[in-house]
Amino acid sequence: MTFVQAMLLAVLQGVSELFPISSLGHTVLVPALLHWHVDEGAESFLAFVVALHLGTALALLVFYRNDWIAIVRGLVRSIARGRIEKDPDERTAWLLVAGTIPVGILGVIFQTPVKALFASPIPVSIFLFLNGFVMLLGEWLRRRQHARDADTYRRLPDLAAKDGVLIGVVQSLALLPGISRSGSAIVAGLFRDLHHDDAARYSFLLATPVILAASILELPTLLEPSAHDVLVQSVVGGLLAAVTAYASVAFLTRWFRHNDLAPFAWYCVAAGAISFVLFATKVIA
Amino acid sequence: MKPLALVLAVVFFVVAILYWTGIVLPHHVKHGILAVVLGLLCLVWFRFQSASPATR
Repeated sequence: MTFVQAMLLAVLQGVSELFPISSLGHTVLVPALLHWHVDEGAESFLAFVVALHLGTALALLVFYRNDWIAIVRGLVRSIARGRIEKDPDERTAWLLVAGTIPVGILGVIFQTPVKALFASPIPVSIFLFLNGFVMLLGEWLRRRQHARDADTYRRLPDLAAKDGVLIGVVQSLALLPGISRSGSAIVAGLFRDLHHDDAARYSFLLATPVILAASILELPTLLEPSAHDVLVQSVVGGLLAAVTAYASVAFLTRWFRHNDLAPFAWYCVAAGAISFVLFATKVIA
Repeated sequence: MKPLALVLAVVFFVVAILYWTGIVLPHHVKHGILAVVLGLLCLVWFRFQSASPATR
């Protein structure tokens, strides 16, 4: 992996982790499409990926810093009191706990076998296509529902714990490379009557502890001797991923105030279909 | 439900130790951490069961 390739992968990670287009899918497809000889199983590459994820998680933490301070305070307050009040921060905190439990359990159990089974270009192309299709279906069903009923949205703190668990379970589909973490969580949020901006906010807040915990658990990889070969790439790449992730979340929070998932969905459908044809017909080996 | 929360917490902590030591269960650091987190959540559940109900 050259320095330029590493930096392009860092930008790709920072953008695609938060845009609903699957970062894992793109890190499989893009190197294959561009004939990059990246050994994704090498320990040095894993160390590099840990640095990118750490950068992304820190960007999310910084962007939502005020929310996280309020959420942690709400969590501590409710535990100290032994009761969850109607305070929005307390409710959001416990919704995040409820959503993180299934993500954590399913992630720890299934991440490695699922990645081993499906992290190759043809399955990823199919999952990316499905990711786009599900987002389009979600938007269509949402429009149909709101054409029938009045435009009544629930706010995030109004969700029940079971809604948080449901969104967490759906977000776990992102273990499949090609399925987007944020896309699946936003679609699930829409089905629970959240507005796009609240669904996206919950999705990004839910992603933060998951990405951060995954990075911290893999931190020892950065201390391995093999990681010394990619030290500069890891540090600069991590910073670049952080900057692009911050810009992405800033853009997306504005985008979802007035717009929907459709452009990202169409991109996934097109990119998935084109990649599938190219790899299945062996135009690209 | 209070005893159940406490029993589950203890079970999760024991499972975590078994994962970390590699005795009985295969050695898995991440599985052990997950078990500790679930154990802590059971303790929080116990705390919620123990607290006095809201005053109106």
